[in-house]
This record gives sequence, structure tokens and C-alpha cells, in this order.
Amino acid sequence: MIKHYLILFLRNIKKDKSTFLINLLGLSTGLACVLLIYLWVNEELVMDKFHKNHDRIYQVIEHLDFSDGIQTYLETSGPMAEFLAEEMPEVEYATSTIPPEWFGEHLLSVGNNTLKAVGQLVSKDYFKIFSYELIRGDKTEAMTDPNSIVLSRKLANSLFGSIENVIGKLVEFEQNRQFRVSGIFENVPSHSTVQFDFALSTEASKEIPPWTSLQTWNSSGPKVYILVKEGANIPNLTTKIEKVRKNRDENTIRTATLAPFAQLYLHGKYENGKLTGGRIQYVKLFSVIAMIILIIACINFMNLSTARASQRLQEIGVKKAIGAQRNSFIFQFINESVLMAFVALILATVLVWLFLPRFNTIVDKQLTLTLDMPFYITATSIVILTGILAGIYPALYLSKFNALTILREKIRSTSSESWTRKGLVVIQFSLSILFIISVVVVYKQIEFIQNQNMGYEQDQIVKVNIEGTLKDRLQTFISEAKKLPGIENASSTTHTMVGQNWSGTLDWEGKDPKNNTQFQIFGVDYGYIETMGMEIIAGHGFSREFGADSAGIIFNETAIRTMGIEDPIGKTVENGRAKIIGIVKDFHFKSLHDNAEPIFMVLMPEAVKYVMVRIEAGKERDALEALRTFYEDFNPDYPFEFEFLNENFQAQYASEQRVATLSRYFAGLAILISCLGLFGLAAHTARQRTKEIGIRKVLGASVGNVVALLSKDFIRLVLIAIVIATPIAWYAMNRWLQGFAYRIDLQWWILAAAGLVAVVIAMITVSGQSLRAAMADPVKSLRTE
Amino acid sequence: MIKTTNLCKSFRTEEVETLALNKVSLHVRENEFVAIMGPSGCGKSTLLNILGLLDRPTSGSYVFAGHEVAKFTESQRTRIRKGNLGFVFQSFNLIDTLTVFENVELPLLYLKVPKSERKDRVMEALGRMKIGHRAKHFPQQLSGGQQQRVAIARAVIPNPKLILADEPTGNLDSKNGNEVMNLLTELYQEGATILMVTHSDHDAQFAHRIVNLFDGQIVTESVNREMTTRE
Repeated sequence: MIKHYLILFLRNIKKDKSTFLINLLGLSTGLACVLLIYLWVNEELVMDKFHKNHDRIYQVIEHLDFSDGIQTYLETSGPMAEFLAEEMPEVEYATSTIPPEWFGEHLLSVGNNTLKAVGQLVSKDYFKIFSYELIRGDKTEAMTDPNSIVLSRKLANSLFGSIENVIGKLVEFEQNRQFRVSGIFENVPSHSTVQFDFALSTEASKEIPPWTSLQTWNSSGPKVYILVKEGANIPNLTTKIEKVRKNRDENTIRTATLAPFAQLYLHGKYENGKLTGGRIQYVKLFSVIAMIILIIACINFMNLSTARASQRLQEIGVKKAIGAQRNSFIFQFINESVLMAFVALILATVLVWLFLPRFNTIVDKQLTLTLDMPFYITATSIVILTGILAGIYPALYLSKFNALTILREKIRSTSSESWTRKGLVVIQFSLSILFIISVVVVYKQIEFIQNQNMGYEQDQIVKVNIEGTLKDRLQTFISEAKKLPGIENASSTTHTMVGQNWSGTLDWEGKDPKNNTQFQIFGVDYGYIETMGMEIIAGHGFSREFGADSAGIIFNETAIRTMGIEDPIGKTVENGRAKIIGIVKDFHFKSLHDNAEPIFMVLMPEAVKYVMVRIEAGKERDALEALRTFYEDFNPDYPFEFEFLNENFQAQYASEQRVATLSRYFAGLAILISCLGLFGLAAHTARQRTKEIGIRKVLGASVGNVVALLSKDFIRLVLIAIVIATPIAWYAMNRWLQGFAYRIDLQWWILAAAGLVAVVIAMITVSGQSLRAAMADPVKSLRTE
Repeated sequence: MIKTTNLCKSFRTEEVETLALNKVSLHVRENEFVAIMGPSGCGKSTLLNILGLLDRPTSGSYVFAGHEVAKFTESQRTRIRKGNLGFVFQSFNLIDTLTVFENVELPLLYLKVPKSERKDRVMEALGRMKIGHRAKHFPQQLSGGQQQRVAIARAVIPNPKLILADEPTGNLDSKNGNEVMNLLTELYQEGATILMVTHSDHDAQFAHRIVNLFDGQIVTESVNREMTTRE
């Protein structure tokens, strides 16, 4: 019997190749989307799960209760790890780390071999908690000596040319301190959120600025992880940890608590102290989008199968007459759709293989298509589900006719069936229009952000790290650099314009004692405000011309508003220790998801980490070349590396950009698949109404009349889809935009344009078929019946 | 084999109720060849569909092979149709995506006859219909006469208790029509029970008994003397 079904499946394909092609293209594209998303989601879900004890590793995080709500930080006090390891019996090990994103890149040398590598500072039990396997050295000993360094296999190979006999050898750190290799770990896998090539002991940090000040309870610096004992009561432990800070300082606004480490990657977004999501939202979003595309493709299959039912009815009638039961047809048709999905899967696998490199670029991953058992199992399950989803309605529909009706009455189609089909087309187009609107809104919002006036000239400013000779002779470097052609100004700062800054509270006259507003702190050098192109709206910037500026403080508008100080210039804060010398117009240094925050700037030339160089517009190439030559001469041990601030800024929107790019592709696919289906249906309708068209033409209808007649019904469906999709899109996109403090207004023309695009595309799809039918010779069409 | 008593069938549209069959009582014994005749719309196809268990009577009794089947559900009727009834239609109703062989094989597939036996039986049936050389062709590649012979092969292959033919020569020219009628006669002579609906006096002459229907009622029943003497 199976062979019989297979024969019929193949012969029906041969008989109706265009329907087969439409289904094949639609289903394989849909399946390819699902497979790509599957690969991506799979990778997201295994992030950090490779640690053997991942379900027992917790990170100590802190909620800070500020006047304007609770902020959650992933770091805690320096002594926390040691305290927990000693005082909490549930804790097996605890470790304190200065993670790679803070510790950053450093210069390591062995002899003349010098290179930069990303490292982190970790305390002694780090390698007992995390499964970065030590391939040389002993994990219990590796981090005990403050002079130890542990290298990755890759770094050891780069520094020593081998991993053999490396233990005990010396590595020079930043050309001023030597560390002894105590271990080599296997290269960090790509599904680790922490990526590093070497680790030093936190003990050593006491001598590596600026990490020297992390040893007090008031500090907020290291990330602290604990490995709890098996069977530990986590809620109890959490309660105990939550009390740790209050026990020390009753007035503290800081509450330490626990978060499961391996889940933070996907569930890491806290709002007002509550876990509200994180990357998991994107995982869910894209899983849903992939499913929707597959559903759109399945709808094509359903519609074309039922529309073409007449071609199968004779078979059903005859088989029923000779005694075939309804079940056998349901089985047969589902069988056919599963087979169809299977054929589509083969093409989909090829598509995935072709598009995976591009997809990897978009999602910033290194996904690979491995044809292994889990893949086969997943692919088979997806195929069977798709087959059932696509086939169940046609199967139920086709098998319900009784033999007599088919054999005697020559049924065409029932009204309920055509209503179902119309309904399905409306669903397809509603989804497609929803996609189009989303793509346009996301695109407009990102464009808006990129063109926002940031309050400083991010396009012209280049950031250079202060390292090597620059540390010792910074002022010389800056004043010489300013003389280079094409360079307008230069200064230095403690923080880049992007990402996290220092923050702290301030005292001022008339401050409400309960007010604990956090100010973002910028430590800067003379000329910083001018270099950045920020606007001074009162007073002046830090300048050597004004002698007392070392005790001066500059606020932004929001800060002055928050403090409520009238005529601020000349007034003091911090009990007279700092005098307000200037007010700078609000500028954006975080992503535009957030509102402007209160900021103050103070002179801190000793703590600066970055030189900011402002380049004349249009002279970028020459200026950078001149800067490179000068830098390489000035600081020969370090490679010249620079970053434009706008690139840095764009990186904050990586996930939005990703969503934008992916949704553009998905929207394109959704509309393409929907149109394929519409094309198939239009062709079918034209064929079904051949005789009617002939008669109308004989009676004097023009080609235009006929095209209008045939297209009208489809266009009406698309219009209904617009009516359904628009309010949903409006609501959904408004909600998405709420996530941005600075956002576009959802304008009516975006919705109208999306609708128009859908109508035009549908019209082009349908009118081709209608035109062909309308141009046919009426005599011929009358003869066809 | 078949016994109906006061069989009625009415069709209801929104306003009108039409009585297609009105108290039809008919008795067909085993190995009879009965022709049902009458003008268009007299109910002969309706009667054939009910006797072929494709349709249900509105009232009355229908005993088929000793079972009262008038109130059977579609699924019960399907079960009885399988293997017991063979159909020959005016428009042949061959499945055009299946070859001649596969069309004829179909009833045996549903009866779960083993593959080797299926092949022998299909080839034998096709041989009998003198169409064995066309086994691998598709229906569209055959003439009308050939298609109807394939349909007859398909109807007889499960050795059904009853063969129902609905205007079997309606779409054929006289030469092919005669061939088909000769085939049915042969089957009858070999012991088959045949019920045939026809318009054609000529075709009716091949039957053993002729039932005339008018306005849903049997008006005359006559034994075909010529046929009886021919026997």
C-alpha cells in the first residue's frame, strides 16, 4: 500500500509540476528558516552550560535601591567571595574575578615575542568552579601564588611555540612585571560568555592599577561566583546573603543576591530589581518568526491542495466505491504531505548550507551544520510536524466527500472550502504585512538613533588607549598630536563615551537626606569638552587659564535640574570642596534606550585611560596616517590601534541591528512565499473560470474587464489583511518603541506604505495570471470545457 | 441475492421534496442479469446507487446477501462494498495517474491480497478483457472501448457477488459498445450477477430480465425470452 501511495505521490507531482514547485519552494524556504533558527537557538541555549557544575554555579549580583528605582549590577564588593567561602557552609568554593571586559587587553612578552591578549583576574578557586580544563598544571595550585599566570593553549603556543615545558617559565606583563606560568587551559569554547586567553591572580591586582582599591566592602568591582554544595538550600542561602550587607551597614542601598550563572546569558535583564527577561526574548521572537514563515508555507500547501482537489476527487470516488475507508485517505494524504515536506527538507538543507555564512555574520556566531544524530532527529520531527500541519486540513477535506457525490455530481468546490481558503490567504497576508510594517519601523528607528544629535561630535572623534610610553608622557603626546595636520584637538578621559562609567552620589546645599541620586562621573583632562565638541551653556570648560579648575566641577543640564540649584555657576557642592565652573548641554553617552542621566565631570589627569583625538572632517585619512606615524615613533612597543567613537556607539545597537537585518530577510521571505501561494491560486482560478472568461469575451468584455474580474477577489483579500494587520502592527511596534527613551513617532504613512506594498505585490502576482487568461482566444477557452 | 421491499428515496431541496423512488420492491436472484430501463429522471440511477450501497434509501427494506442493509452507516456500507460489489460507470472512472495494471490492481490492494497473487490475477483479468498488452499504459493513452474494458476488469477482479453497471456503453460507439456488452454477457454466463442501468433497448436485450421504471416506480418487469432461449 505504501508503494501505491508513493507511486501516486510521484505521478501527481509529474502531472502538476507548477503546484509541486510552488510547494517545494515555499516549504523548503520555511524549513530552511526553521533550521537556521534551530541552529541559532540551540547555540544560545547551550551558552555556559558546558561547565560541569553549571547548575550549582551562582553569581552574586546586587540590587541598588536608588531614588528613581532599583538598579541591578552584576558586580559586588571585593571581600564578598572570601566572606562567603568562609561563613556560608552551603558554599563549596567562591571566586572573585575582574572579568575580561574590564581587565581588557594587555601586552605579554616572552623574550622578543610580544603580543596583546585578553585576560582576567581570578582568585584561587576559579578553576575549581568553572570547567576551563587545565591541560598542564594543577587546578588547585594554579592560582595560589600572586605571581602566577595561566595561559590558554592558543596563547601558550603563540608565546612559547609549544605547550610543552612551559610551566614555570616567565612571562613579562606590560613590560614591567613578571609572572610565572602555572597552568595551561584548553582554549575557551565559543559557547562560553567569558572569553579570555590568560588569567592572573586577584592577589596581583593589589599592585595593578586601577584594581588596587577593590579590597573594601564599600567597593563595587569584582564579579563573584560561588559553587554551592550539592543539595544546598538555595532560597535559604539567598536570604542569608541578602542580609550580609545590611548586617554591616544598616543604611546601605545595596542588597546582594544570587543569580544562576548559566542562566544569566539568556535571563539577564532586571528592571527595578525584578528579572524581566534578556536575550531569551530574542530567542522566543525568532522562534516564533520562523514558525510563522513555516505556517505561511504550509498554508500554500493547504490552499493549493484543496483548490486542486478536483484532480484527486475521481481517485477518491473510485476508491471509496470499491471499499476504501475514510481513514485510509487521511493516512494517504498526510503521508503525501510528509513526503513533500521531506523533499523540501533536502532542498532546505542545501539552502541552510548556502546561507549559513551570511546568517553567521548577521547573528554574530559560528554556527555549523553538522549532519549528526541530533540533527536528523530534529529534522525528522520538524518534517513530520510540518507534514501533518500542512496535510491535515486537505486530508480531512478531501476524504470527507462520499463516493456518490463525486462520481455522479461532478462537484467543483464548496463554499465552506472557498471561505477557508480565503481565510487562509488573509492570514498569510496579514502576517506578511505585519512583517513589512515591523521592518520599516525598526529601520526608521535605527536610522533615527544614528542621526540623533548626540550632544558631541562622535563622527570625528577617534579613541586611542593610553598604554606604554603614553602613560608616562601623556601631556607631551597630546600637545605634539595637536600639531599634526588634520588634527583639531585632543584631550584624555577615564571612560569612553559608551558603556558603563563610574557613578556616585554627591552632597549639595539643600539636598533631601533621602535623595541618593547616582551621578555618572567623567574624569577628564583639560580641553576635554572642547575636543568632544560638547556645548557649554554656562560658565566654561576645564582650562589651564583658570587656575582653580582642579577643584572645579562641571554638571550637565539634567544634573542641575535634579539637584534644583538656582544660578549654579560659582556655587559649591560636597561641602565646599568643589566649585561649579560650568554647565554642559545634555549629551548621550549610553544607548538611546535610556534617558539622559545626571553627570558631573572633574579633572582627573592621573586616572585617564583614553586619548580622544578630534579630526578635521574630510581629512580623516591623512590625519590618521600622520597620527599613526607619530604614535609608532612615540610608543614603539605598542601597535597603533584606534576606534572612531561612532563605531563604538553603533555597537550598542548590535542586537537591534541584528533584529533589523534578520526581520528584513524574514519579511522578504514571508511575502515571497505568500505570493507564491497567491500565484498558484490565481492560476487555478483562471483555469477554473476559463469558460466563463470565454463567454464574457464573446459578449464583449475587454482584457481590462477580465483582469479586473479575476484580480478583484484576491485584492479584496489583501485589503482585509491590511485591516487586520495594521492595528496589530501598530500596537506591537508601539510597544517595541517604548523600549527607547528617544524614539520615532509611528506615522500613518508607514502603515499605509506597507499596505500599499502588499497590494502592489499581490496585484503583480495575480494580474500576470489574469492577463494570460484574459488574452486567450475565447473560442479555445469555450472548447476546453 | 437482492431483495428490496417498498424502497423509497426522496430528495429535499429548500422548498420541494422530490420522490425519486416510490415503494420499489425488487428481487434479484444469484446469477441473474437484470437491466433497469426508463426515461431520464425516472430514478434508475438512484436505484442502482442504493442497490450498490453508495446511497441509502429514505425508507423501506433492502436485504443484500441475507443482511438488512437499509440503515447501514457509510462506514458499514463501505465494508460490504469492499470485495462484494464491482462497479462499471458510463465515464469509466479510471484513475488517470495510475496505469492500467495499477487501476485493476486497486481492489486487491484494499483486500490485502499478497503481491504475487495480485500480479497473476490482474494479468489474467486483463487477458480476459483482451487488453493485457496495455498493462503499462495510462488511461488517457487508451480508446474509450479499451478504457471501459479496463474498468470491467477492475470491477470483476475481486470476484464480486454483484456487478453494477451504470450506462456502460453510454460513452462508446456501437462497435465498442457491443464488445462491452459481450463481455458482460460472458461474465453473466460464468455465474456473475449483473445489474445494469441503460437507456438503450439494444443493450437491454442482453439482459435476462428487464425492469422498467417510471416516475420512481416499477411499471413493468419482463423476462427476456430471446436471452433465455439463447441460454
